[in-house]
This record gives sequence, C-alpha cells and structure tokens, in this order.
Amino acid sequence: MSQPSHRLTRRGFIGAAAAAPVAFGVPTLLQAQARPIKVGLVHPITGFLAYSGGQCRMGAMMAIEEINAAGGIKSMGGAKLEALLGDNQAKPEVGVSVVEQMQEAGVSAYIGCFSSAVALPATQAAAKYNTPFVIDVGASDNIVNRGLRNVFRLKPGFNACVDDAIAGLGEINKAAGSAAKSAVLVHEESEFGTGTAKLLAGKLPSIGIEVREVMKHANPTRDFANLALRIRGLKPDLVVMSNYQNEYVLLARTLHQQKVDLAGMFSVLGGGFNYKFVKELPDVAQYMIDTNHWFDPTNARAQAMKKRVEAKGDLFTFEVYLAYNAVKFLADGMERAGSADKEKVNAALAASTWSDHFMPYGPTRMVNGQNTGGKAAILQASKTDIDVIWPTRFASTKAVFPKPRFS
Amino acid sequence: MSAWRVPVALLAVALAYPLVFRTNFAINFGVLVLFFAVIGQAWNIAGGFAGQLSFGHAVFFGTGAYCSTILHVKLGINPWLGLWASAAAGALVGAFIAALSFRFGLKGSYFALITLAFAEAFRILTNAVEFTGGGLGLLIPLKRSAANFQFPERIGFYYTILALAALSIAIALWLKRSRFGARLAAIRENEDAARALGIDTFREKVKIMALSGALCAAGGTFYAQYFLYIDPVVVFGADKSVEMLLVSMIGGTGTVYGPLIGAFLLTLVGEGTRALTNAQGLSLIIYGGLLIVIIAFLPNGLIDLFKLRWGRRRA
Repeated sequence: MSQPSHRLTRRGFIGAAAAAPVAFGVPTLLQAQARPIKVGLVHPITGFLAYSGGQCRMGAMMAIEEINAAGGIKSMGGAKLEALLGDNQAKPEVGVSVVEQMQEAGVSAYIGCFSSAVALPATQAAAKYNTPFVIDVGASDNIVNRGLRNVFRLKPGFNACVDDAIAGLGEINKAAGSAAKSAVLVHEESEFGTGTAKLLAGKLPSIGIEVREVMKHANPTRDFANLALRIRGLKPDLVVMSNYQNEYVLLARTLHQQKVDLAGMFSVLGGGFNYKFVKELPDVAQYMIDTNHWFDPTNARAQAMKKRVEAKGDLFTFEVYLAYNAVKFLADGMERAGSADKEKVNAALAASTWSDHFMPYGPTRMVNGQNTGGKAAILQASKTDIDVIWPTRFASTKAVFPKPRFS
Repeated sequence: MSAWRVPVALLAVALAYPLVFRTNFAINFGVLVLFFAVIGQAWNIAGGFAGQLSFGHAVFFGTGAYCSTILHVKLGINPWLGLWASAAAGALVGAFIAALSFRFGLKGSYFALITLAFAEAFRILTNAVEFTGGGLGLLIPLKRSAANFQFPERIGFYYTILALAALSIAIALWLKRSRFGARLAAIRENEDAARALGIDTFREKVKIMALSGALCAAGGTFYAQYFLYIDPVVVFGADKSVEMLLVSMIGGTGTVYGPLIGAFLLTLVGEGTRALTNAQGLSLIIYGGLLIVIIAFLPNGLIDLFKLRWGRRRA
C-alpha cells in the first residue's frame, strides 16, 4: 500500500494558495468593506466659465482625497467617496443631462454648479430623486428658495453678500470721513451681475452714497474704453463692479490706464479679484476692494491648504475653497446620517451645525437649505497680497481708503 | 401606402421608446433628440425647403419661450394656452422680419445676417426691460402637474415633444407634396425664374417664415416649461441658432427626416463623448472632429447614407 505523498507540487501550492482565503474567511472581509459613495461633481469644465469650473473641481477633489485618506465615512464602515466628474458646459440642458447620467451611475449626492442658470434646472432634476445637492458656487437666491428639500448652500447668496457689502462699505466709508458720496455701478448682463447691481442700487443710498448711473455690459466684452470715458465724465467717487473674471480685470485695467481718479474701486463678488490678478497686474490691483467669499486668514488649515494649492502652481481662488468646504459639509452630513440613504442625508444636512470649516462663518444654520451663518468678507489688494479688511474680527490689516490719487 | 411606411414606423418606434427604455436618463435623451429635431425642422422648413438661410432663428425660439413664460408668470395664464400664444407670436415675428427684409430685397447672406441682428436685438431688449426680468431672467414657479405643463414624470414631456416633432415632420411632408412646397422649391432654386412663372415670391417667403417662426416658438415654450428657467442669453443666444442650423445641416437640409437624423446623431455624440471621457474639453474635440468628418464626406448630410442604401437595394 503506497503512502500518500506529502510533497508540495507547484500545482498543489497554487491551489492551496487560492483556497486559503476561502478557508480563512477573507471573502467575508471583502464583502464587509463598505461600497464607495458616489459624489457627482457638476461644473462647467468647457465654455466661457471653464477656468472657474476647473477650480471648483480641483477644490472638491482635494476634499474627497483628504476624506478618503483619513479613512472615509467612518459611520458607514469607512466608505470612500468616489467622484463622478461631469461637465455642464454652462448650459442648462447639459447640466440636466449630466445629473440624469450620474443618477444612472448610482450617485448619492451632487456638488455644483458654479452657474446659477445651470443650478436652477439641475437641482430640480436631482429633486425628482431626492438626491442631496450642495451648491458650492452659485449666487442666485432662487436656487434655495423654491422649497426643494434636497438643495443646500453653505455660502451666502446675493442678498446676504450685498447686505454684508453695504454694512462693511458703510463702516469703511464712515471711518474715512465719508470720502465716497457717489458711485457708478458696472455689471455684467446675466443674473449674477444684474441681480447684484439691482440690490446695490437700492441699498447704497442708505449709507449716503448716491448712484449716478448703472452700466451694463455683455459677456464677453473686450474693450472698456468707451465705458471708462463715460465713467470719467460722471466723476463718481466709487466705481462698483459685478462681473466675471475677464471683464473684471479688463475694466479695472482700462480705468487704471485712463487714470480715472476715484476714492476707490469696490466690487461685490468680483469674478477677477484673486491672487492671479494681484500677481499679474499688481499696479492695477493695488487698493481695489472686493466683497467676496474668503477663507478665515487666521485659520491654520486654510493657510496650509493655500500653500498646497500654490505648490502645485495653481491659485487659491474662492471656487477652490468653496467647493472644498461644500464636499466637507456633505461628508459631515453623511457621517451623521450613518447611511447614504437620501432622506437621512438630507435630514442630516438640514440639521447641520458643522463648524469644522475654515470660512469666517461659525457653525452652519440651515434655513430652507441656505446657511444663514454664511458671511462674505471685504478684501483689499496690495501689490503682493490680498488682505481681509472687514469684518474687523477677521481683518488682517486696515483699509486704505480713499486710495491715493493719480494726480 | 408605401409613402406612409417610414413616418408610421418612426412614430411606432418613438411611441414605444420610453416604454422600453424606462430610465429618466434615457427618456431625457429622447426628449433632447426630439426637441432638437423640432427646432431643427423649424429652421429646415425656411432654410432647407425655401432656401431662406437664417443665422438667427433663436429670435423665434426666445420669443416663444418669453411669451408663454411672461403670460404664465406675470398674468397667470396657463402655459398650455401660452403654447398657442407663443406660436402666434413666433409667426408674427417671423412675418415681420421677413416682410421687412424681403421688402427691401435682402436675400442670401444679407438675410442671414439680418436674422442674426434681430436675435441680438431681442436679446439686448429682453436684457434691458423690466417685465422680462432683465438679465435676471424668469423663473417659472415649480408646480408639478400635467395641467400646468409641468409633468411630474419626464415621460409626459417626452410625449408632448413627440407630438410637436410629429407635427413638424407632418409639415415637412406636406411641404414636399403640396403646391406651396413646390413654389418654395422654385424660389429656392431660382427666385427670378419663380417670379417669372408668376409666383408671388414675397408672399410665399413671408408665409414660410411665419410658419417656421411659429414652430420654433412652440419649441421655445417647451424648453421653458422643461427647464423652468430662461434668461436672454440662454434663449436668444447665438448658440441656439447654431444648434438649429447644425442639426439640419448634419442630417440633411431640405429633407423631411434630416433634422431628426441630425438631432439624434448630435445628441448621441454629445452625450456619448461626455460619458466616455472626463478629460477637459476632449468631448468637444471629438464632437467637432466628427462634425468635420460628416461635413467632409457627406456634404448633403447623413440622409445621404440612407439614400445610398435604398438606392443599392433598388438596384
């Protein structure tokens, strides 16, 4: 009778190696590993808003990578966030298509859309599935006041930003002995610029500033020479601007080139007021004042993130940190919901008192999806940097107002 | 009977489509195809059948979108009634632009440019006046019910746009077979010769522009009700004019099914390339490349592929 052989053959070894995990229950562990949570990023990656959309995507991706590196959503067994990337091309119909496409792919929440015109129909499309939709950038107050229970916005909208701008400008102007008594408003023609200018025109007289004229320009506009001549003729103390990146920079440059003397150039949500502007056109940018979404400069995490972004050769623009914080806000809601169940996540976001952000907001307080704790900051550019000048408790320097004259 | 085979088969396929492909993504895809087919056909009956090339059909589209939306939002008029009012407004604007242009003898590229100018003028006007909401645009209050032209499910929108698409194809078929269509073809081929034959070219051109304007405006109302938000750039922008022109050109101008084929292909390519790649702008590069290939090898549009196929079968 032959003895069974105990010699380990190559075939036997491979077979045993394959069988071992079965015996030791590894498949159970694999099954226990939480399924990734799909988050749809719906931004304009092509078209005239491509730069801003790309910045939003970068901020959102940084937050997702950070959350995953820290162990994912812990209450859901360490589920990782998986980004679904979409390009809304700044077109409403494309935005809706992207939302539907992601829904098919099993998305659990959306972040977007930069443009209000896209956010309005896209949030409605998501509302059909009750899928949470966190607005990172998108100023229209209509986005959150339609009673859609799945829509949330961390940052302040038009009205709140204009209120903050008026309050801050009023204080700055008063401190300067009411140097500004008149203003010309210049805005781009879409909902963002028109809405902001309309609110400003109504509220500036309340702080003793008379509105001499409201000027509208198309998108894109590449020549502001005539507009600058009209402004010079009107002799206002302030030029108040609301426009997107390129037009903002071009208008500021033209007014500087034509040496139009003003007490200050002030903007609300000025699309071009960022580090790129300061770096490329320091003489033009110097002393310009903007009311915008800004990080808390005293927060160490904000400064660390700024360094990380700049180390990659990118700019730490408002889109980056708004999208970053929007993802973090969503992740906090999911963490507390302990599930990707849409109803539970919506309820968690609605009840959010999240304060682990680096915006000058305080804990979140959601009313109809809008964070009422959100606050804009007033900023002033120097030749090398951008400083917060209002609210005073976050201010890193004092305002230079009125600015030195050309003559 | 054989003449009806194609439209009946197409209608059967279109009716069955949302019953087979039930997801909202698939139905939304179907809605977009039919929507672009409707506005493409609106351009085609003027530009293709009558040879009156327009670069500014967005003027009719925007007129329709704003007409029904203003009636609904400001005066509380039901958007289903607004749809008819929009068609009437589109027809009026079409007749007005045509009468003004043709009275002064504008034709060819001059007519194309004047339509573009009108679209821009309407965009600036809606941007400037208060009752259109200016640059803020108009938001239609969310009130989902079929009676309010806000179907709770996408399938309702699908069958509505299918009805409009069927109507647009019926108009195109009628133009192919009617005396009016024959007069338009004569104008397209040689306007002087048509006039010499006794055709009142001015009247015929005004009539077809009014018809085209009405159909395009109805498409505008559908768009407003589907997305519930319009602003001057979205509805009067040059993008919309180009989209209408493109679906017709790619599918085949002056043909009954060209805009439908063009709309299907362009929507498929647009959605497909976006789904395939996340690389910035790559989907648009693929989209553009495909357009160049189609224009280079099928200058009469994709309809040529079908003609070749049928031609071979017959041979």
